Amino acid sequence: MSAVMETVNETTRPFIAVTEVWVPKDGRLVWSSGDYGALADFAAISEKQSFAKGEGLPGKAWAEARPVVLKGFDGSYFLRAEAARVAGLTSAVAIPVFAGNDLKAVVVVLCGDDAERTGAIEIWHEENGLLLLDDGYYGAARHFEWVSQHTHFPRGQGLPGGVWAANAPMLLRDLGSGYRFIRADSAGRAGLTTGLGLPIAVPGRRTYVLTLLSARGTPIARRFELWNVRSSRSGAATEAVLADGICQREGPLWDDEHERRVAAWQGAVGEALGSGLPLVRTDTALLTAGYASMVALPLYRDGVLAHVVAWYY
Amino acid sequence: MQKLVVIGAGMASGRVLETLFETDPGAFEVTLFNAEPRGNYNRIMLSPVLSGEKSFEEIVTHDDAWYGANRVVCRFGEKVVAIDRTRKVVVGENGEVPYDKLIVATGSVPFIVPVEGRDLPGVITYRDLDDTNRMIEASARAGGRAVVIGGGLLGLEAAAGLRLRGMEVTVLHLTGHLMDRQLDEAAGYLLRRDLEKRGISVMTRASTERILGENQVEAVELADGTRLAADLVVMAVGIRPSVELAKAAGLAVNRAIVVDAQMRTSDPDVYAVGECVEFNGTLFGLVAPLYEQAKILAGCLLGRPGSFAVKELSTKLKVTGCDLFSAGDFAAGDGREEIVLRDPAQGVYRRLVIEDDRLVGAVMYGDTGDANWFFDLIREGAPVSAMRETLIFGQSYQGTAPLDPMAAVAALPDDAEICGCNGVCKGKITGAITAKGLTSLDEVRAHTKASASCGTCTGLVEQLMAMTLGAAYNPAAVKPMCPCTDLSHGDVRRLIVAKELKSIPEVMQELEWKTSCGCAKCRPALNYYLLADWPGEYADDDQSRFINERVHANIQKDGTYSVVPRMWGGLTSASELRAIADVVDKFSIPTVKCTGGQRIDMLGVKKEDLPAVWADLNAAGMVSGAAYGKALRTVKTCVGTDWCRFGTQDSTGLGVKIERFMWGSWTPAKVKMAVSGCPRNCAEATCKDVGVICTDAGYEIHFAGAAGLDIKGTEVLTQVKTEEEALEMIVALVQLYREQGHYLERIYKWLKRVGMESIRAAIVEDAEKRRHYFERFAYSQRFAQRDPWADRASGGVAPHEFRPMAEISYREAAE
Repeated sequence: MSAVMETVNETTRPFIAVTEVWVPKDGRLVWSSGDYGALADFAAISEKQSFAKGEGLPGKAWAEARPVVLKGFDGSYFLRAEAARVAGLTSAVAIPVFAGNDLKAVVVVLCGDDAERTGAIEIWHEENGLLLLDDGYYGAARHFEWVSQHTHFPRGQGLPGGVWAANAPMLLRDLGSGYRFIRADSAGRAGLTTGLGLPIAVPGRRTYVLTLLSARGTPIARRFELWNVRSSRSGAATEAVLADGICQREGPLWDDEHERRVAAWQGAVGEALGSGLPLVRTDTALLTAGYASMVALPLYRDGVLAHVVAWYY
Repeated sequence: MQKLVVIGAGMASGRVLETLFETDPGAFEVTLFNAEPRGNYNRIMLSPVLSGEKSFEEIVTHDDAWYGANRVVCRFGEKVVAIDRTRKVVVGENGEVPYDKLIVATGSVPFIVPVEGRDLPGVITYRDLDDTNRMIEASARAGGRAVVIGGGLLGLEAAAGLRLRGMEVTVLHLTGHLMDRQLDEAAGYLLRRDLEKRGISVMTRASTERILGENQVEAVELADGTRLAADLVVMAVGIRPSVELAKAAGLAVNRAIVVDAQMRTSDPDVYAVGECVEFNGTLFGLVAPLYEQAKILAGCLLGRPGSFAVKELSTKLKVTGCDLFSAGDFAAGDGREEIVLRDPAQGVYRRLVIEDDRLVGAVMYGDTGDANWFFDLIREGAPVSAMRETLIFGQSYQGTAPLDPMAAVAALPDDAEICGCNGVCKGKITGAITAKGLTSLDEVRAHTKASASCGTCTGLVEQLMAMTLGAAYNPAAVKPMCPCTDLSHGDVRRLIVAKELKSIPEVMQELEWKTSCGCAKCRPALNYYLLADWPGEYADDDQSRFINERVHANIQKDGTYSVVPRMWGGLTSASELRAIADVVDKFSIPTVKCTGGQRIDMLGVKKEDLPAVWADLNAAGMVSGAAYGKALRTVKTCVGTDWCRFGTQDSTGLGVKIERFMWGSWTPAKVKMAVSGCPRNCAEATCKDVGVICTDAGYEIHFAGAAGLDIKGTEVLTQVKTEEEALEMIVALVQLYREQGHYLERIYKWLKRVGMESIRAAIVEDAEKRRHYFERFAYSQRFAQRDPWADRASGGVAPHEFRPMAEISYREAAE
């Protein structure tokens, strides 16, 4: 099996400590769902929070219509800085979900800084025909961070360039060993194994690509699923077909002979498909493939739901 | 327990074993040979392994535990040397194994293009995991360059994988569009565009001449002399069945091992399965029929015989983001109709081919959501007339009324943006139509700017006009150029430039052609428009020309051709006349005639003699007279001041200058010119497309005459004093006509359509504009002034056009 499916200790702490979904309501972003693990106090504060456009991290991603990385909360525009400090959270990435010009939601992931957690959450943007690093959070992978800051990707090359060219999510295996170019040496040294790349649609012609690079010791997730959406005549998503997926427990999830499908509102992925909104589930093992939590993120293309990406941890 | 020996651990034999063990695990004691040092894996998923989107471990179908559980004796990494059918043993490199039943599943080997340099290190084929690993190794070098020979499924998957791994990749494909066996031209264009967006260079009609390098591959040289630097060359041009072992064993082999419908070879105890077999003359390369064969074979071994039959196949490309599908037979033909749906904004193309009320083929690009449904319709042969109107939209549209685009437009809010280029919303357009009484598209364009730029929103604007004006709207004012499109010639010309469309498939996709490949009306027109608008960028498409322009001669009523060499300004010489006489004798040309344009016409030339005739005429310094083309034909002259007592200027000299400057250029319709040395007009310049009447004061420039079906005297454009001015004026005029004329529209009809005022404004009254037209013509001549006869006389261009279809004797024909 690929590196991500090797003997991973499921008790290891995940790279991402908190994932939460904010949705627009009456001109503000309000809490919709989230996974806070053991950080109950931070959860309690967050659930009562809301953000105006431009306010706090989610509001900034909304106002600027782009993904935003924030490293270090003290003295920043991050509204929950004190609660985050108490919870040991030091960095966050806000990912807006736009359908054309309409904001559907903002997903925020928060991470804690320590010497052990390795992984990468990166935002790439297009400039003069190349993808450059907008910003990223790398945990302990300092050398990889430095390499990434000095790397650019042409169309079609590497995970970011591949996602940009395909305008579709991609899941790469063996970043460090089998995947042998550009940042591979450094990725290998950082223990990064699996890479998930997502095109982030924003209004206008700007291009953003989000990459989540998972390490064996502190994985971003233990199961990844990429679903292609099929729409009905009215444009509403009716079902999705699994395009790719791997799972630490079940191995490869894809099947080139028999399509795995999910209908709208069928399970957690189906809910994301039906509602067109991202969601975080922690409630039942049935909805989370036996893992503690899962995130389902819809991806839009030209205002229409095109993919749902789910990760479980 | 019977002994079963299997040679080859590929996907087909793997499926045989799976079926056997699932059905009757104790039936056979199995020994499995494989030349590769590993067991069965999903070979068709090697491409995602190359790209990094799968790991090899994920595509292993049978691991050691599976072989162990089924007590399979694995002899991996051991080649089979022979099959001794008399003793019923398989001879491996490490010893013999007896069999009761034998399965030959030796698969196929990649075809290697037989060119110099094919054995150089760095030149590889793409077949197995070792090849994949070699490509991954090669991609590790920063800035590496790969050339993939073959733009089929495998080649393109290799190209995408190598590109993702950081290489600079060029794909070479022999024919005109990628995946030409699975896709039509339109889908091939979209695929090419998608791959080019990934930074992959695609070269079609590219023939590999040789591979260069000392100790390692360094470059690929094409037949046209182009050299492409390469650190890696991947040959992916097809496969051939691996049959040597079977042949040596005396089994019946044609192109592959011959099997019956139970997968039995000529020896009843020996079966064959997979890419190494031939059934009813058919070879197999896709996995679906291989799995079907495997199921049949396993059934036979277990005494439950089935019968294999060749079924329709479908194709998908495993490149993330390239969403394509094809199935069935999508060739055009008599009795077939096609339904085409294009959505340029989404890059979507769908084409269905229907014959006898059955769907027989489908090609889809960009949105393949309904692929399986269409594939089922093809396989089932279900009648489609009941859903004919909505069929193209897919399964979810069935049982509903056809889409009403007007209803969709009516439902748009007033602030919905219609024209993205100029930011015009629906309310502004409908408001202007009502308030100002606008009834034509041009009026709406003039008042609102909607649809005035790229024209993408023209359809929407027309629907808004229809919705607002009701019966007062008369869309018939726009005459489509042919049934393949609703756009007029003028719209198409404007949009080709505005949207920078540079190929016929691109025009058809972006302008939503209603047919897949156009028709005899639009293809020649588009070919001309693209040639005229993108000199040096657009490659002339011979297949979009009528026969005369394809073979560069005029076909006659008996199927022979007439040949007219160019005679500059009507001048000739003894050596030219001698060469013509020799050609006439040599090729027994029955008729020689002088033309009205002061040329010599040789009539009755056999098609296959044309290249040789041209070679002889070329040798005497003559080139094609373009007497067959929508092009500059002749410049007729009188003798002028050289000989004539009344001549006022050197009319012959000016005629020669004009012809030497302008020959080779393509025009919307034929262009005939003349220069007369005095107003007596012996060259009959005042009924030509462009004429010059010389006077003591200079040169009168005439144009827009006609002396054919229509008879019309010329109009005077202007008068100039010098030859240089006359030449500039004529060239600029013709260039304006080249840029504005509709295909097959003669100059006099063009004048009638656009008006003298606009032509004079551009050519006579504005020196800068005139200069620009002149310069654009001169630039295009850099690519146009190439004698088509010389190209074809050498056999380098379109030799197939001049070959007889078949040489058969009367006796053969009678039989």
